[in-house]
Amino acid sequence: MLFSLRELVQWLGFATFEVFLHGLALLGFSVLLVLKADGGAELSWWKVFIPFFAADGLSTYFTTIVSVRLFQDGEKRLAVLRLFWILTILSLKFVFEMLLCQKLVEQTRELWFGLIMSPIFILLQLLMIRACRVN
Amino acid sequence: MRMSLAQRVLLTWLFTLLFLIMLVLKLDEKAPWNWFLIFIPVWIFDTILLVMLIVKMAGRCKSGYDPRNGSQNIKKKAWYLIAMLLKLAFCLALCAKLEQFTEMKLVYVFIPLWTLLIGGMIELGYNIFYVRRD
Repeated sequence: MLFSLRELVQWLGFATFEVFLHGLALLGFSVLLVLKADGGAELSWWKVFIPFFAADGLSTYFTTIVSVRLFQDGEKRLAVLRLFWILTILSLKFVFEMLLCQKLVEQTRELWFGLIMSPIFILLQLLMIRACRVN
Repeated sequence: MRMSLAQRVLLTWLFTLLFLIMLVLKLDEKAPWNWFLIFIPVWIFDTILLVMLIVKMAGRCKSGYDPRNGSQNIKKKAWYLIAMLLKLAFCLALCAKLEQFTEMKLVYVFIPLWTLLIGGMIELGYNIFYVRRD
């Protein structure tokens, strides 16, 4: 729409398949969230977040394989750069999900939403820097 | 009128950042605003996208436009328009639910989002599995 798929892949650094994976995770998460919120199922918040954790795990596995293959093909610089970038993005996303889940489970006042969202703010800055580089 | 990639990235980034800041303020109870006010960056961003899309689609009605150029293109544009409207419907329903204007179940709020995501997944899946095989 605003971005073509090619531009999006270039900007985010993810393969199309990984974007597809995270989209599916969002769909699964929203279904579980509705099941929990509407009272149809007795699910804990950790179970509701399973699709996101699964997508993160699969994405890490996929990235590791791609990086190893790139490394074997002699594209060492590209392999290391790709691995670092994707792992940074995924770990920031994972920390956000963990903190959010913990907040929802425990409802503690010490864990305020500014703190929970901080990985996302860092992620946004990184994405902006990458956009400048890609351009 | 075609925006460069940098302009589009900046536009998306700015509105996302604004929305997240307002969301954090609201969730931490620092700002006692209405949910519809918190979503203002989303409304503005969606309006800009919708206007751009409608202007592009209206460009086909100009004299001298050869319709044979893009029957595929207009279908894509129509899908984008539907996707935008679905997203807008989801955000509106979510705000109404959060403000407790109506006593509706969350499942009705999420129906537009699910439709949008399923459509998006089909398009993405087509791009991954079908186009590559060609």
